[in-house]
Amino acid sequence: MVQDALRTSGSGGGLPKTAVSNGGGRGRGLLLRGWQVQNTSMNIKIMILCGFVTILVLLGTVSFGNLGSSNADDAVNQNLIKETKPILAKSPSASVPNDLDLEEPPKAEVNPNVTYTLGPRITNWDSQRKVWLNQNPGFPSIVNGKARILLLTGSPPGPCDKPIGDYYLLKSVKNKIDYCRIHGIEIVYNMAHLDEELSGYWTKLPMIRRLMLSHPEVEWIWWMDSDALFTDILFEIPLSRYEKHNLVIHGYPDLLFNQKSWVALNTGVFLLRNCQWSLDLLDAWAPMGPKGPIRDEAGKVLTAYLKGRPAFEADDQSALIYLLISQKEKWMDKVYVENQYYLHGFWEGLVDKYEEMMEKYHPGLGDERWPFVTHFVGCKPCGSYADYAEERCFKGMERAFNFADNQVLELYGFSHRGLLSPKVKRIRNETVSPLEYVDKFDIRRTHAEAKP
Amino acid sequence: MIERCLGPHRCRRIQRALRHLKVTVLCLVLTVVVLRGTIGAGKFGTPEQDLDEIRQHFQPSRKRAEPHRVLEEIQTGGDSDSSSAASGAGGSNNYETFEINKIFPYTLGPKISDWDEQRSDWLAKNPTFPNFIGPNKPRVLLVTGSAPKPCENPVGDHYLLKSIKNKIDYCRLHGIEIFYNMALLDAEMAGFWAKLPLIRKLLLSHPEVEFLWWMDSDAMFTDMAFELPWERYKEYNLVMHGWNEMVYDEKNWIGLNTGSFLLRNNQWALDLLDTWAPMGPKGKIREEAGKVLTRELKGRPVFEADDQSAMVYLLATQRDTWGNKVYLENGYYLHGYWGILVDRYEEMIENYHPGLGDHRWPLVTHFVGCKPCGKFGDYPVERCLKQMDRAFNFGDNQILQIYGFTHKSLASRKVKRVRNETSNPLEMKDELGLLHPAFKAVKLQTNQV
Repeated sequence: MVQDALRTSGSGGGLPKTAVSNGGGRGRGLLLRGWQVQNTSMNIKIMILCGFVTILVLLGTVSFGNLGSSNADDAVNQNLIKETKPILAKSPSASVPNDLDLEEPPKAEVNPNVTYTLGPRITNWDSQRKVWLNQNPGFPSIVNGKARILLLTGSPPGPCDKPIGDYYLLKSVKNKIDYCRIHGIEIVYNMAHLDEELSGYWTKLPMIRRLMLSHPEVEWIWWMDSDALFTDILFEIPLSRYEKHNLVIHGYPDLLFNQKSWVALNTGVFLLRNCQWSLDLLDAWAPMGPKGPIRDEAGKVLTAYLKGRPAFEADDQSALIYLLISQKEKWMDKVYVENQYYLHGFWEGLVDKYEEMMEKYHPGLGDERWPFVTHFVGCKPCGSYADYAEERCFKGMERAFNFADNQVLELYGFSHRGLLSPKVKRIRNETVSPLEYVDKFDIRRTHAEAKP
Repeated sequence: MIERCLGPHRCRRIQRALRHLKVTVLCLVLTVVVLRGTIGAGKFGTPEQDLDEIRQHFQPSRKRAEPHRVLEEIQTGGDSDSSSAASGAGGSNNYETFEINKIFPYTLGPKISDWDEQRSDWLAKNPTFPNFIGPNKPRVLLVTGSAPKPCENPVGDHYLLKSIKNKIDYCRLHGIEIFYNMALLDAEMAGFWAKLPLIRKLLLSHPEVEFLWWMDSDAMFTDMAFELPWERYKEYNLVMHGWNEMVYDEKNWIGLNTGSFLLRNNQWALDLLDTWAPMGPKGKIREEAGKVLTRELKGRPVFEADDQSAMVYLLATQRDTWGNKVYLENGYYLHGYWGILVDRYEEMIENYHPGLGDHRWPLVTHFVGCKPCGKFGDYPVERCLKQMDRAFNFGDNQILQIYGFTHKSLASRKVKRVRNETSNPLEMKDELGLLHPAFKAVKLQTNQV
């Protein structure tokens, strides 16, 4: 009866305990249906609640990172890669510094009518230097038959936006320390902005000039970006090739003069001789650098003039290309555009081939078979916004580092377990006469013996 | 049936209550699962197991030890005439009777007995790699390093980077080469013992190196002008910062410091490393050795054996074998405990000048116990990092002044110009003489290219 039906409704989400009783009239049927609907709705509510909570649980246990990559980024990446595929791409190498010091307000903008200078003009640097070298025979510019080189690199003064960035800067500097120790090169690691106006990628200019003028015994200043790693520890720069040149830079003359491409040269790794010509070049190069309207305006000029350059403020690479093209007669006879070995090697085409290289070739070649330098252009390990997928960048850097580190560790009888592994394994047992291996594997001795 | 027992209304109420209860329990269970999923490890285990895990994770056994070591440093730092009762206790407990070497024969490698001859032969055959790069200036290799993986503390790697830059600067000025190690060569000798297999490997692979200078990653150079007095160590093979009384008489576990020391490349050093190593192997050996050291050394807390305590014990119990070739230096801060130095930098700048190396202008400021790379040091992280910045800038100012710059303050990353550019840069006087120091001049040969 009706009472039965009412009772059955009390049994909650389950099915009614008693079936629709026999002889149920229309009224009872309606009531039953009402209860059924209510039950069903109750069930649905609970189901939705459970489903919602399940999703929450899943989200909580599965990492959020996988949800981060968006299709938009991929599309942009594809475009970039497509654009730069036939040529080696370079985007601004050093990240814009993040001065977190809150002590002083930013300096007032420079008067654009006054040409910026790196310092008072020096016109007789070659003779000043010669005199000094004569007076200081304890500091010759040639040591053990090799010209004295100073490697200059650096990074921003503050911590990176991503903590892993500092880790890769640390590995990068270890990589440079190893190469330079083996080849007798001194390192200056710069973490100071000497000139507020020439910030970002332009910081290298005042630093290079300052080092040249302070160290007349140094014959070559070798600038190297912090995101460039040595991957051929045996290879030595063939300085004899550059006796008549003052600037050695990686690039392609065709791209430079015919196509006027903004990636025709790479200023991430280059050598500059310590001489008057270089001081003049730096003076001619600097004017596009000062932060603010000058740099922005210069950026527009460069974008209009150079092929493929996106719109952004003036960077040192585009400015140099522009300078060398527009004043070709003045500068180019002393510039060596090197592409026989990878003074700068764009990472994208190299990092996947390391195993193949280890199988087929050997260190000392410096070119596409065993690249001298692998340069992680566009990866910006220290900044926030890279042009390439983060994971691919960092994995590539890890592989490049280990690829190089294996060459260093060989002397000690160790090797990385895999190109992605920070762990090492022994490849040669300890012995009571270790010097026979020193004779065999010490790279410095290999070079020393090769000399006449 | 139940209905008949309890009556229809109550029954209905009970059923409704049951329904609500079911829903409540379901929601509760799901909430707990969500919380475990987001906060916990995502693994299922009893709460006690989790607690244990957490406890183990947060409290490494070393943690309690460091404050003691530090307090001792403060009390006894610089106090060279601490007259303690020279007790002859422990005469019977020397390394040999301890017998751990015999029971657990760990070795760093096959025993070499003719290293001096091997090395001198090699040096004779390789005149382009001399072991002395100047009269009184031996070839030195500075060895430091850090773990292969990224730091747990997000800014840890940044401080490691600043620390290595600091070392690069000092070593460039003083003609010293650097080896930065990021590989664990021997899994058994992990942690503070990792330097032993590394040092041995480097000594044997670089016969041209006369002195190996080990330096911790948390130690920074704060006197760029100070050159080590190499002639003083002509007759010695091991130079550490410490005090004779504290090591030999008191057997104080912080009587010396193995965070910054010099080791000559010869047979004596290999033998020392072989004698030093046995307390190192991870696990039971290290634990047991730790107990012995705590018992034998003054002031040492309870924790596993560390290389420093083992060295104190070794020297104290085998003075006759090793003591005559060990120089415990306290004339300058080959290692300077940061706690008593960092607040005085401004005072030092006002009253003194670089080149002294001692309490007036310390050569090395060593951030013992700070652990910038890990998450849990013995001091508040803020103080450690702030002071590391100051020490870094204090040292960096001496480098920057060569080029005419200085930091705006010891806390600031920004620099300001202190000397204008000139068109005669070579006439500028380099006050500290760091630009072209005499100890860096190349040995002049008659027929130099």
